[in-house]
Amino acid sequence: MAKNRFFPTLKSNGGMLVTLAVFILLPFIVGLFDGASPAQVWINGSGQSKFIQGLAIEIFILALYALSYDLIFGFTGLLSFGHSMFFAVGAYGTGILLKNFGFSLPATFGVIFLAGILQALLFGMVLPRVKGITFALVTLGMASVFHVLVISSELGPYTGSDVGLQGVVPPEFISPASQRLRLYFVTLAVLILVFMLYKRFVNSPTGRVCTAIRENEGRALMLGYNTFYFKLAALALSSLTAALAGMLHTIYQPIVSPNVAGLGYTVTALLIILIGGVGTLNGALVGAVVFRLLDYGLRRYIGESASFINGAVYVAIVLFLPFGIVGTWRLKSAQVKQGWERLAKLFGSR
Amino acid sequence: MDSEIIFETVKLRKEFGALVAVDDVSIKVRRNTLHAIIGPNGAGKTTFFNLLSGNIEPTSGQVIYKGRDITHQPVHRTIHFGIGRSFQITNIFPNLTVFENVRLACQALGADNFKFWRAAPAFQKYEQRTWEVLERVGLKDRAFTLARTLPHGDQRKLELGMILAPDPEVLLLDEPTAGMAAEQVPELIALIQEIQRAGDKTVMLVEHNMNVVMSVSDTITVMHLGQVLAEGTPSEIAANKEVQTAYLGGLYELNV
Repeated sequence: MAKNRFFPTLKSNGGMLVTLAVFILLPFIVGLFDGASPAQVWINGSGQSKFIQGLAIEIFILALYALSYDLIFGFTGLLSFGHSMFFAVGAYGTGILLKNFGFSLPATFGVIFLAGILQALLFGMVLPRVKGITFALVTLGMASVFHVLVISSELGPYTGSDVGLQGVVPPEFISPASQRLRLYFVTLAVLILVFMLYKRFVNSPTGRVCTAIRENEGRALMLGYNTFYFKLAALALSSLTAALAGMLHTIYQPIVSPNVAGLGYTVTALLIILIGGVGTLNGALVGAVVFRLLDYGLRRYIGESASFINGAVYVAIVLFLPFGIVGTWRLKSAQVKQGWERLAKLFGSR
Repeated sequence: MDSEIIFETVKLRKEFGALVAVDDVSIKVRRNTLHAIIGPNGAGKTTFFNLLSGNIEPTSGQVIYKGRDITHQPVHRTIHFGIGRSFQITNIFPNLTVFENVRLACQALGADNFKFWRAAPAFQKYEQRTWEVLERVGLKDRAFTLARTLPHGDQRKLELGMILAPDPEVLLLDEPTAGMAAEQVPELIALIQEIQRAGDKTVMLVEHNMNVVMSVSDTITVMHLGQVLAEGTPSEIAANKEVQTAYLGGLYELNV
């Protein structure tokens, strides 16, 4: 009985499991190149491995953040220009609670969770009134207010105004300095759990209605769905995920730049899912890897002026892979499959 | 025999600025009948339907369904009352499969819409109902093609399937045969008649094909410039002099 369920699961998720295995083994493999045995890597003894772990943690956080944007933009069709606020609330909230108020990590998580729900409700308040591009502009307005708040000098003691939040001491047991491998696995585990939750959500009755809203909201209403609650559900899940990503961001990098509250950071999410493929979920993961590695590689080998090449690459991706990497891959493989089916029909006995 | 009124409008009026699209229309629709609404272009038929289904708010007047005032109910409630509505311009989910289009229509009235922790195919009752409906409208073989790739006639059938799915008592069909190939029309009309008779349903129909209207309707309401010009059985309407000049232009010959 268990066999029947287990093996098809293995088969259909083969690619995912291989990727997962690669990421679990990655720190140890990198350690080998550095001449460190897995045991040394385990006690954070390899510098090279630690560096790669850091890069991977950044990618996992970006992937979480991009996933949350794909849910509202790619699946529900809500174009929000205020998404960076979802992330920044988590990032700043964590920093301030840990530093200024001396909260424990679980208590911080609880507050961030509530804040995540509240900001989804805030965005949800305007949902019935504004649609499409107007929703984008209203959310941009709300996020801009938040951005102005965090850089204001009045809140400086908490947010560090335009310098950014500094001096957060992350909890010792997942400290990025001394316990980086543990933080690496925690972040990876969070990403996997959220990814599985998202996969289930978009295939659930609720998620299917979200897709219907993206396709044709008027018709979804006529079918009898009060679309407001479905959009709100997607916003809430998205907001919580982004806030969680922000929280991990502050733990990994105890400096929060006000940039994460700006429009540029929303565009980062949009860019990642455009690279990976809008409305695919897997695309957010692939996009985050490509985005971060491209940025890192160009900066390292060319310098700051590399952002020009960076931009050119993005334009090329949009021109040549209009559905993103994952989206285009799926389309092509479906076409190839159809081709084989046609061939089979041609020669097969019907 | 059964002359109970299921649907009724009282001085229903809709103004768009200075234009009065629907001008104090009061009609009564009897249960289990096929009630057609005809009229020249711009007579206000589609606006009238939009008022009935709650897509737009009337300027004044009432919509009464089974003795209950539903005038100001939000549009997503309409189907919950048992009123299904199809559109003149095909209105489906283009990038979803035919199956998913109908499945969404089946799921809407259930109590499982927010069970986000279970996969949708696990809800067998909606899956089964979807297959029944697809069988009924003859799209079973096309279940897993994308709705936008269907030929127009099949999209019209899909549209019909999507309102049949929740099994409403009243069907508001806005030109169900619009843009269909002529040879497909009788098939669809036969289907509508069959559904109406077998399922004890009330059908309201906007239709331009006069042969269709005259042959299938129990009652016909003729609208002209937002007002009701005449109402009666097909033979009464065909004999009506006012209708002849306003709509039929004296050119239509009743071929019964």
